[in-house]
Amino acid sequence: MCRDGRRICALLLLFAGSLVACASRAVEQPNSPAENATIERGRYLAIAADCAACHTAPGGKPFAGGLPISTPLGTIYSTNISPSTEFGIGRYSEGEFARALRGGIRRDGAHLYPAMPYTSYAKFTDDDTHALYLYFTKGVQAVDARGPETALPFPMNIRLSMLAWNLLFLDAHVFAPDPKQSAEWNRGAYLAEGAAHCSTCHTPRGFLMQEEASRALSGAQVGPWFAPNITSDAESGIGSWSKDELGAFLRSGRLPGKAQAAGSMGEAVEHSFQHLTAADIDAIATYVRSVPAIGMPTGASRFAAGKISTGLAALRGRDGISNDDTNPGGAELFQGNCASCHSAGGEGSKDGYYPSLFHNSATGAKDPTNLIAAILYGVDRAVSGKQAFMPGFGGHPTDSNQLSDRNIAVLGTYVLTHYGSGDTSITESQVSEARRGGPSSLLLPLARWGLAAAAVVIVLGIVFLMFRRHKHSA
Amino acid sequence: MASGDSADVVVVGTGVVGCLIAEQALDAGLSVLMLEAGPRVERWRIVENYRNLPPSIRLFHWDAPYPPKPWAPHLETRREKESEQYLQLEGPNARAYLQGYVRYAGGATWHWAGICWRLTPEDMRLKSLYGVGRDWPFGHDVIEPYYTRAEYALGVCGPSDPAQQWPPNVKRSKPYPMGPTPFGAGEHRLTEVAAKIGLMNIHAPQARNSGVSYDGRPPCCGNNNCFPVCPIAAKYDAATALPKIEAKGGRILANAVVHRIETGEKKTVEAVHHFDPDKGSHRVTAKIFVIACNGIETPKLLLFSKDDRNPNGIANSSDQVGRNMMDQPKLITDIEMAEPLWTGVGPVQSSSIMNTTQGEFRSNHAGALFRMENFARSPLGAAAALKKGLVGKALDKEIRRLSACTARLTIEHEPLPSPDNRLTLSSKKDWLGINKPNIYYDVGEYVRRSAREYTVPLLHKLAEGLGATSFQLSPEFLNSDHIMGGCIMGTDPKTSVVDPDCRAHDHHNLFLPGGGAMPSGTASNSTLTMTALALKAADAIVDQLRHG
Amino acid sequence: MDERKQRAPISPGVTERPKPSRYRDDCPTAFSLDRRELLLGGLSLVGGLAVVPALPAIAAAAAWSQESAARFMEISSLLIPHRLHEDVGKRIGAAMSGFNPSLSEQVAGLLAIAKNKNARIVEDFFPDVPEGPLKETALAIISAWYLGVVSDAPDAEVFAYEYTLMYGPTKDVMTIPSYAVSGPNGWTSDAPPLDSMPEF
Repeated sequence: MCRDGRRICALLLLFAGSLVACASRAVEQPNSPAENATIERGRYLAIAADCAACHTAPGGKPFAGGLPISTPLGTIYSTNISPSTEFGIGRYSEGEFARALRGGIRRDGAHLYPAMPYTSYAKFTDDDTHALYLYFTKGVQAVDARGPETALPFPMNIRLSMLAWNLLFLDAHVFAPDPKQSAEWNRGAYLAEGAAHCSTCHTPRGFLMQEEASRALSGAQVGPWFAPNITSDAESGIGSWSKDELGAFLRSGRLPGKAQAAGSMGEAVEHSFQHLTAADIDAIATYVRSVPAIGMPTGASRFAAGKISTGLAALRGRDGISNDDTNPGGAELFQGNCASCHSAGGEGSKDGYYPSLFHNSATGAKDPTNLIAAILYGVDRAVSGKQAFMPGFGGHPTDSNQLSDRNIAVLGTYVLTHYGSGDTSITESQVSEARRGGPSSLLLPLARWGLAAAAVVIVLGIVFLMFRRHKHSA
Repeated sequence: MASGDSADVVVVGTGVVGCLIAEQALDAGLSVLMLEAGPRVERWRIVENYRNLPPSIRLFHWDAPYPPKPWAPHLETRREKESEQYLQLEGPNARAYLQGYVRYAGGATWHWAGICWRLTPEDMRLKSLYGVGRDWPFGHDVIEPYYTRAEYALGVCGPSDPAQQWPPNVKRSKPYPMGPTPFGAGEHRLTEVAAKIGLMNIHAPQARNSGVSYDGRPPCCGNNNCFPVCPIAAKYDAATALPKIEAKGGRILANAVVHRIETGEKKTVEAVHHFDPDKGSHRVTAKIFVIACNGIETPKLLLFSKDDRNPNGIANSSDQVGRNMMDQPKLITDIEMAEPLWTGVGPVQSSSIMNTTQGEFRSNHAGALFRMENFARSPLGAAAALKKGLVGKALDKEIRRLSACTARLTIEHEPLPSPDNRLTLSSKKDWLGINKPNIYYDVGEYVRRSAREYTVPLLHKLAEGLGATSFQLSPEFLNSDHIMGGCIMGTDPKTSVVDPDCRAHDHHNLFLPGGGAMPSGTASNSTLTMTALALKAADAIVDQLRHG
Repeated sequence: MDERKQRAPISPGVTERPKPSRYRDDCPTAFSLDRRELLLGGLSLVGGLAVVPALPAIAAAAAWSQESAARFMEISSLLIPHRLHEDVGKRIGAAMSGFNPSLSEQVAGLLAIAKNKNARIVEDFFPDVPEGPLKETALAIISAWYLGVVSDAPDAEVFAYEYTLMYGPTKDVMTIPSYAVSGPNGWTSDAPPLDSMPEF
């Protein structure tokens, strides 16, 4: 063949080859190693941000949404954030993804409720946002299922109202490191204030449900639980904990003789913290321990209260054998419901699996919220494949042992008196409120009354104007 | 929706059988009303009752923490006067029918050990294979999927190791939902010793949460109190099903003693009548009636409800209601050994020797299950040491030695159904005026020969292997609390009470599921089989209501 | 009714025929000869203490003073080398004095013997306790602390379960029934040697 012929053959071959290459790319589109590394980084960040806690319903497909989240203003359902083009974020561009993640605005322009902690995720850097985008669009399986729609009661269903709220309360700045602090501290601040969104639970909120930055991490109600004060205050916060202790708590959900994670924090440990690198945990611990101390006027530390105690010398044998289970006393309820696992004196099991009830923040705190919630809802937390489980005693109607409000109030008061802060008692109405999912907000009824009042004023105004016109024309 | 007067399905009895059927019916969209003779009592009360018992009663008197209400009597071991006894028993082995069930909401599973053996294929064909007893009207392949459903419904933990499977060489459609609980020192030692004489002590499948939570119930913490009551509901008992049934819309009426099954034209059951604690009577109607009161109370109610149309009792044209009463006649030995065995670690029972239940010898005598009892022997050791008048260090040492170096070994023999082992209505009446049950029981030569020639000699060998220095066999057969046979299943209405779905032959809308339906007792604990039959009956009930 | 008394033999070949053990599954007291033996005090569970139903608590309390309770604790501590709960002791002492009107004197008598021998532990003075009511009472006191009851009756009042000493000698292995031994599946088949003794 002549030289030109060979050149043409080679060109044709190259062309054919590239066609084949293009076709296969169109079919498989394998990621480059660099892309895979970014997707992996995105996967890690999604764990740090614990997206699955809300966006993966229990027993549901990953990131397909549909989890009901009870808020004081009604139930919000998490959305499908898998790359499904019809039901998920499959059509989102990276810019639209960033806007949703950090600005709380959906692709269709509607506002998200801050149950999605975009106020924290606003801190994500562009790089990290890019990694998250790649992970959710290329690293997650698309799930083509529509989730339930959120329908908050009027007027909260008007999402546009979030515009004003965001203007008032959203700090839209990406995280800026503090040059006066160490790299470890800055990493910790970035994670704690951003991905791990600690403040969304631990910072108290104002009347319009905004975080009160001046009281950062000093404790707040989360449904029926109370996310406690984790500032550096030695009495009211975790100032008495060492950095290692805080790291151990985050990794395992448990600090024997001090505290254990339940409710949303239990989930956070299970799905997020236990999977973070040691360096990141240390960084978070460093940052959290530096948060300004905010003390409550409650006196003693919630970690050091109580001691071993039983009412058995007086109780045993007195009640005899009976089939009447009405109006029991606290000691009976404790012995019959709790002592089998937590031991007759409340000291916990020998191997420490069942915690002691004294030197335990759940009973040592002045606020009995977490004790009530633990009795009602139990604990279910798995770390390194091992489950920490306490059954609920009526928080779910299917619980095997249903204790009434009255019995939980009596039992809880007994536990606090003998193993905890000592002088707190629990009322039936506190228990029934926790059973209903926690305190509701006045915001909703007030908003409705406010609107109603405004409507009345407008109607009266119109009537007045019409009356005046009528008078004039008469 | 179930009202006080009526529902699609009325279930009499809130034990494991009644509860499982109720759950299945509710899941199928039917309305369910459950009637329970006894009270609904919270678990903590029963746990505290147990701890308040004197030590002489705390062990072996499993009904003692369950004081009955006057209108729902059951066996009471603390009652001294003979005339106040509820169960009227007679016959050479009356003692072996001293059944300790509980007439509380939740039934006898409150105090069962939780052991969940499946029958073997041979267990279901005694007549064809060995020329004794009765065959089941269907094969193992029919019941196997129901066993699987039952295991997942109760939450059964069991081994996946093929060498530990029972029955051996029968394919399971699904593995156990949870792995086995660990052995304590005693069970470990028994396994080693037994193996030397060809006895395989294997992990018993148990309805006990092992290592993980299941159905919202916690895992076993080894509090060694499975009977008389699991303080934490790690063991399945039907009381845990009650809130789930109510959450699905089922209604449960406690303290409602059903005293009459009312039949109408064309042999349908029209209604059941129940007393309230003030002895007022109420009539309840349904499309389908399930009588699941246990193997004594169900035949008792059927006989007591006799009317002009059914002069021999409801569902009793075969004259088999109340006959063929079975249980596993039990023998126990208390041994003292030179070396410790140790009990009191983990569940009260978590293993058994099963290979002794099977074999050609069954044409000649009963097979039997062997096991060690794992309840803590410390109270027994203490009482015995104190009786010796010891004090101080010597006393403590002897308590420790006797607690560790004594053991109880149990044999449970398989019974055969005999029409003479029969429940009838006693002339004595209970507080409500309902006749007490009278049961005549003779374990029969099939069992006695087994004890003479097979089980007791083997038990001696096992005790020898454990280094026993003394051996005290119970002088008579005892109850195992597995009440079977009184409403026996078969395809021929002349010789059986219920069909393969536990539907009464005589009444199209009456179901009598439970131990009473089992055609063979076998040597293994009956609860899992009863539960499988309950699910099978539930399928038939749902099918019947959907398709007529 | 008579048939019940004729128990069928297990087998003619079985030679062991011990007294029916009281520890039988759901043994109803009405069911066998055992019950009559029980009521006659033949098989006493509790040391030397006779089987008597409890006298009304009021009579017992009246006779049992603070002073008596203190001396009861004193002799109990001498007889038993373990931690004893004072409130449980008060209840046991008061109940025992209800059965046994001479309890105070007997306690005094035992204390005198112990003092005489400068006893610190029971082995120091127990051999010197004479047979008869004094020894029976000493054994009854020990039994009561170990078992948590002062009488053998099936409806006896229970003073202790968790605090009884009968679980002490094996508490390194066996659990007190109804109380967790460990976390889920946390127990093993390891056993400490028989000749070790836990502290309690």
